[in-house]
Amino acid sequence: MSLFQEKSLLRERLGYNFLLFLIVALFCVFAVRLWYLQVYKAEYFFEKAQDNVQRRQLVYAPRGLFLDRDGRLLAVNEPSYSLALVREDTPDIDRTLKQVSRWTNIPLEQIQDEFHRGRTMVRSFEKQVLVSNLSYELLTRVETEVPYWPGVKIMVQPRRKYLQGEVLSHVLGYVAQASEEELRKDPGLRLGDNVGKHGLEFTMEQTLRGTKGLKQLEVDAAGRVLREKILDDPVSGEDVQLSIDLDLQEYIYYQMQGKTGAVVVLDADTGQVRALVSTPGYDNNKFVFGISHSDWRDLVENPHRPLRNRTIQNAYPPGSVFKPVMAALGLEEGFDPKDEIFCRARYRLGNRVFRCWHHHGDVDMHKALVQSCDTYFYKLARKLGVDKMSPFAKNSGLGKHTGINLPHERAGIIPDREWKLRNVGEAWRGGDNLNMVIGQGFVQTTPLQMAVFTAALVNGGTLYRPSLLLKEKKLDPEPLPWQEETLDFIYQAMVDTVENERGTARRLRTRDVEVGGKTGTAQVVRLMPEHAEDDLEAVDYWFRHHGWMISTARKGDENYAVATLVEHGGSGSRAAGPVVKSIYDYLFSPKKVAEEDLP
Amino acid sequence: MIDRQLVLHINWYMLALVALLFSAGVLNLYSASAFRMGEGTTLNNFYSRQLLWGGAGFLAMFLVMSFDYRHLKVMSWYIYAVSLILLACVFFWGVSIYGAQRWLHLGFLSFQPSELVKLGAMILMAHILSRDEYPLQLRDLLKVLVIIIIPVIMVARQPDLGSALVILFLLAGIVVYHGIDRKLVKVLLVLLPLVAPLFWLMLHDYQKTRLLSFLNPAQDPLGSGYHVIQSQIAVGSGGFWGKGFMEGTQSQLRFLPEKHTDFAFSVFSEEWGFLGALILLLVFCIFLYHVLSSSQQAKDRFGSLLCVGVFFYFFLQIMVNMGMVLGMLPVVGIPMPFISYGGTSALVNFIMVGLVLNVSMRRYMFKS
Repeated sequence: MSLFQEKSLLRERLGYNFLLFLIVALFCVFAVRLWYLQVYKAEYFFEKAQDNVQRRQLVYAPRGLFLDRDGRLLAVNEPSYSLALVREDTPDIDRTLKQVSRWTNIPLEQIQDEFHRGRTMVRSFEKQVLVSNLSYELLTRVETEVPYWPGVKIMVQPRRKYLQGEVLSHVLGYVAQASEEELRKDPGLRLGDNVGKHGLEFTMEQTLRGTKGLKQLEVDAAGRVLREKILDDPVSGEDVQLSIDLDLQEYIYYQMQGKTGAVVVLDADTGQVRALVSTPGYDNNKFVFGISHSDWRDLVENPHRPLRNRTIQNAYPPGSVFKPVMAALGLEEGFDPKDEIFCRARYRLGNRVFRCWHHHGDVDMHKALVQSCDTYFYKLARKLGVDKMSPFAKNSGLGKHTGINLPHERAGIIPDREWKLRNVGEAWRGGDNLNMVIGQGFVQTTPLQMAVFTAALVNGGTLYRPSLLLKEKKLDPEPLPWQEETLDFIYQAMVDTVENERGTARRLRTRDVEVGGKTGTAQVVRLMPEHAEDDLEAVDYWFRHHGWMISTARKGDENYAVATLVEHGGSGSRAAGPVVKSIYDYLFSPKKVAEEDLP
Repeated sequence: MIDRQLVLHINWYMLALVALLFSAGVLNLYSASAFRMGEGTTLNNFYSRQLLWGGAGFLAMFLVMSFDYRHLKVMSWYIYAVSLILLACVFFWGVSIYGAQRWLHLGFLSFQPSELVKLGAMILMAHILSRDEYPLQLRDLLKVLVIIIIPVIMVARQPDLGSALVILFLLAGIVVYHGIDRKLVKVLLVLLPLVAPLFWLMLHDYQKTRLLSFLNPAQDPLGSGYHVIQSQIAVGSGGFWGKGFMEGTQSQLRFLPEKHTDFAFSVFSEEWGFLGALILLLVFCIFLYHVLSSSQQAKDRFGSLLCVGVFFYFFLQIMVNMGMVLGMLPVVGIPMPFISYGGTSALVNFIMVGLVLNVSMRRYMFKS
């Protein structure tokens, strides 16, 4: 290099030093960077690499089953088949969606909508369900063709099946896919999980659900699973055995066919529900994979409101079935039941006239209950007043939640002065007392409340929190605030209502069974006289009265309480009576007894 | 024919370093071309093809060493012209891979003229600048700029932004090393920042997204940021000791894209860890030092500038590739010398080494 001139040599020297510096800089910069990535942040990146390779997947835990009191299956899990798509494996999504539409006869737009709706909710290489609940016939047809459509998968999912469908729809409720809100609230839920939405499925969710298992998958970049390891085994949900007697439930449901109403049968001594029927029912299986739009419309637009559980979600004026409570109050307040009044079928208060359905003549308390004389109670009401009637009715279990393990129970209404002022905006008047005492006006009770109250009449005076579970008995016992004589008197009056020739519930008479009963008629509109039955057909259905019947049955050491309501069925005796009678015929039939006596 | 003196003066250290780097590269390719399928392992044959190319490279290297490099002066215009013609051929008969036309198919093998252009342009540049030692004046500078700009634009149009930039900086490096007139330098310092934004407009959309995703890879982790993120995960997860040969999950399970070409160094870093990567980096630096030393020992300006050109070539290739793999530079398809798979590139690498060895072995036999 000495051949270069001095000046040039200096420049060369500078250049050399600069290039040397470049080498050192190259080394230093990258050495530091390597150190940063591979030593300083090594752990972080190692975890990232693990995340790439290892995927954790939840393993489905079977939901607990529902059984009736004799162990018969009510709700099971069965496999159901769905068509799913793995986006990343599908070369031509449009064509594939078209094919899916051709297979299933579902309009292409609907499938495209479903695809676009769900695509953000699944991760890459995860299956996205397009059509669920394939029919068996469709499955066999599609199964042979699916291998020619890369990306299309047939998925097996567990599906809740309610074996009796609408018969138990209001008791069991249903499961359906968890909403975003439910997912947010409950960390145990994952997208796509089914969760109890109604009925016992809802209230028993935590028991039924079980715990998902966890498995670890080793995957490559294409999402192919190379290895699988179970980390935690799934734990199945617990089965739930109901106190419901399936035979009885079904029997009552079919007795109530064509009627709109509610029937509750309680085992009076334990508070357990033997049957809880609300008609019309609905097919809860339809909800499991998402109810179709038209099915939903049919249910919501049906004037009989099949989704409503009438035993707890509807409150009706109790009508005359409220009278035993009021009579008991009279006795507690020291009225002599032998005192008589005279019934002229009308009663004047100020310038208003209150009617009785019949000209009863001389009436004492017993006769007033047995023949359901309103006039007697009008007079009683004037002496008692709302301030006594209202707390007493509430303490007898009416106008408040029974606490049954079903959601959305309504409390009903037992009005008082304050209530009227707040809700009607008017002061309580004397006439309100008269309406209240015969269970009209503002009073509203649910059929289940009436059943719990009736059970207390036959079990010696204890209000139990009713339950649908076989293992729950005699919950939260609370005594009726009645003296024993009062209870006996009322119970006897109810038995006489059945046994007496003129009793309003005489059609309940059942051999070898001590049956008590009280009919009631809840006025829907005032136009129709309370007991004018003969021209029932002439009245528009929606204007007809609701018929009530509460009843007790005692045979040996078995005590039952039944509350029945038939909407727009006319009088209680006529509308609800036959249903209750058939329940007893069924419950106490020799055949049934013989069956139960078998070892 | 073979001069004993010449053989004695071969820079054996450099030859050994190159052999070491190439072996490491083939070994790494063996691992990078394997991937796990279920319980077994399947192999692609990249490493064996690389061995073939490497063998051809060695032959070419010795061929280049066998004649006095000064003959290249005469040939330099022809080499430049031929490489440009081949480059032009790509536009007509080229094969597109990943949306860029870079390859020419010659029967059984395919071939990347842009690699050859680096060689041709470098030799010509060394030749032109070696004619006198004075700093470049405007007239010469313009002439030189034309020689630079033609291949740069042609390569950039393929589009192969990375190679275009390497050619640009490689040639500019030689020019700067040679020296530019002081006044001209001042003018250039003012002009260059004004011209720079024009380059942005010339870029393809995908190149822009690459540059942007380099600035913020998390913005599009599955799209253009994917390479950057996965490569860093591969390197970082290797830790100090590495995961071991054939044990890198990022490459074996194919999370790493382009793992046998552009991201071969990620595979290496993942499996050999900080220790391995640092040693590899060190070997590269020693190699660069030897190239640089050869330029100082050269008996004439042409040889010296040739070596400087080769220095810049390797320096840029290593810097751009490593910067990309380590997430410090945008993703441009520049292979790591001797480590990445690439036939033409391997061949050119060996020829480059051959040039340096040629210059250095003839360092004592000077006559003007």
